[in-house]
Amino acid sequence: MATLTLNALKKRYPNGHLTLHGIDLKVAHGELIVIVGPSGCGKSTLLRSIAGLESITEGDLWIDDTRVNDKEPAQRDIAMVFQNYALYPHMTVFDNMAYALKNRGIPKQECEQKVRETAKLLGLEELLERRPRQLSGGQRQRVAMGRAIVRSPKVFLFDEPLSNLDAALRVQMRLEIRRLLKRLGTTAIYVTHDQVEAMTLADRLVVMNGGQVEQVGAPLELYSRPATRFVARFIGSPSMNLITLEATTSPLAKHPLVRDMPAEPMEKAATLGIRPEHLRITDPLQALFRLEVEMVEPLGADTLVYGHAAGIAEQIVVRLDGIHPLEESAQLYLGAERENLHFFDVEGRRV
Amino acid sequence: MRYRRPGLDVFSHLLLILAVIAFLFPVWMALTAATHSRTDLYTSIAPLWFGSEGLHNFISVLTEPIPGVGASASTMLLNSLVMSLGIAFGKIAISMLAAYAVVFFRFPGRALCFWLIFMTLMLPVEVRIVPTYQVVADLHMLNSYPGMILPLMASATATFLFRQFFLTVPPELLEAARVDGAGPWKFLWDILLPLSKTNIAALFVIMFLYGWNQYLWPLMITTDQSWTTVVVSLKQLASASDALVPWQLVTAMALLALIPPVVVIIVMQRYFVKGLVDSEK
Repeated sequence: MATLTLNALKKRYPNGHLTLHGIDLKVAHGELIVIVGPSGCGKSTLLRSIAGLESITEGDLWIDDTRVNDKEPAQRDIAMVFQNYALYPHMTVFDNMAYALKNRGIPKQECEQKVRETAKLLGLEELLERRPRQLSGGQRQRVAMGRAIVRSPKVFLFDEPLSNLDAALRVQMRLEIRRLLKRLGTTAIYVTHDQVEAMTLADRLVVMNGGQVEQVGAPLELYSRPATRFVARFIGSPSMNLITLEATTSPLAKHPLVRDMPAEPMEKAATLGIRPEHLRITDPLQALFRLEVEMVEPLGADTLVYGHAAGIAEQIVVRLDGIHPLEESAQLYLGAERENLHFFDVEGRRV
Repeated sequence: MRYRRPGLDVFSHLLLILAVIAFLFPVWMALTAATHSRTDLYTSIAPLWFGSEGLHNFISVLTEPIPGVGASASTMLLNSLVMSLGIAFGKIAISMLAAYAVVFFRFPGRALCFWLIFMTLMLPVEVRIVPTYQVVADLHMLNSYPGMILPLMASATATFLFRQFFLTVPPELLEAARVDGAGPWKFLWDILLPLSKTNIAALFVIMFLYGWNQYLWPLMITTDQSWTTVVVSLKQLASASDALVPWQLVTAMALLALIPPVVVIIVMQRYFVKGLVDSEK
């Protein structure tokens, strides 16, 4: 159990590129933080800086009450699970898991006992004498987890650990990781680009973009109150419809819901966001707009409808419950509840 | 791929058999010649079957100082063995460390080191043999194993082979080792070395043969007969004798000189073929 504190953490590469623009984050005991963002947003760099695999250019990194900026990874008492597992190919599963313990000078017997306990926890007992290449992807993933767990570190770091697995296995391992981490109660940082993984795993979610933190919060908080246009677009699938409002010309801007609601900041409100699942078929009088259907994707549980509306440049996506036998070129009058409308100003901040 | 063409099969087998005969015939000649007495060899045409003096010839080569060379074959075999093992192990150790430094460490002058090593590829031993001789002589290492081994130990080729291999090692492995508390030496010893064992086996074979077949360098720096190597002695044996060349001894020597390389190849082949079959990456 440990806390992790990041204080204005900056990372500049030798070539001058600033990858992390000052990250502030406090992680509580036993919390599971998921860092999510598009590729190149700096999430992996952040994780590697915490691990000590990248040096920190500026700012402080604290684990409990120790400033660990200048400590070697092994001295930070962290464990990391890599995307490609990075198991030592010439060692058996047992040796892979025991290696870190051996390096710390832990007596052989204690070492063996710990490895066996961990192996039992992960269901790896049968595989201890195998080598990594004799294991399936899911088993390797589990060994990589075991190698991290066996040391009982203060902080777990996961670098997209599931992205090399197939979809079914990913769902299974996702649940397993969550259960395991909650059982161990260890603080963990988990990096992923998969937002389903992020939503389901996280106690708190950190959305990163361009080396900066866009928003930190519980998954559902981010879903229902995205702080920026970027977060709004990133969280949720299919992603939120973002409609540019040109205050006077668009018929949508004259709709009472849109016109009246954020009374004062209306001039600044450059974008209106509505999630596809929050758009409902309604009568023409209350509708926000009329959608000309262009494409229908029936998924069984729900139906995705794509189309355009008069005066709106962006393509609109609607998610309708159940099965809707819609003709292409059909027309739908769509409305939404006031609380499901999100407004963002010109800079992309929520108003 | 298999073609159903019996004519082609017959032809290719014929070709292979011819090649085998062409390669094996000299060895066969040596084998039979080594079993005859000198008089036999000079009085009749070259024998193609074994004579009765085989045991005697080999024992005399191995135990008595050979006329014209001055040392027995067992001494020379030992010299050759020490030299080639020294060169092979030395080359592997040095080039592995050099490649390790160049690939895994960031230090000033890294690129320079790399290019300096690269440049030595262009200079064969013969080009720098005079200055090297001077250095070895000044260090009083003439007529000694270090003098025979050290100058031949640096190897740009092996460094490159190791470098190429190290570059294929996923960087996450190094990072995992760092997180697991393995320092640079531990990483080299516990992870890199076991991973490169097939490379080491292959290099060992090549470098052992290279060391075994050295001629010019040992010839230059050994003036004392007790330091002569097998390969050097072959030439001396065949040319130095004042009267007739003792072919039965020359061929016996040649056969003895063949044995260690063949043994090394046969033994090591198992390892690197195994390594090639079950690739562990």
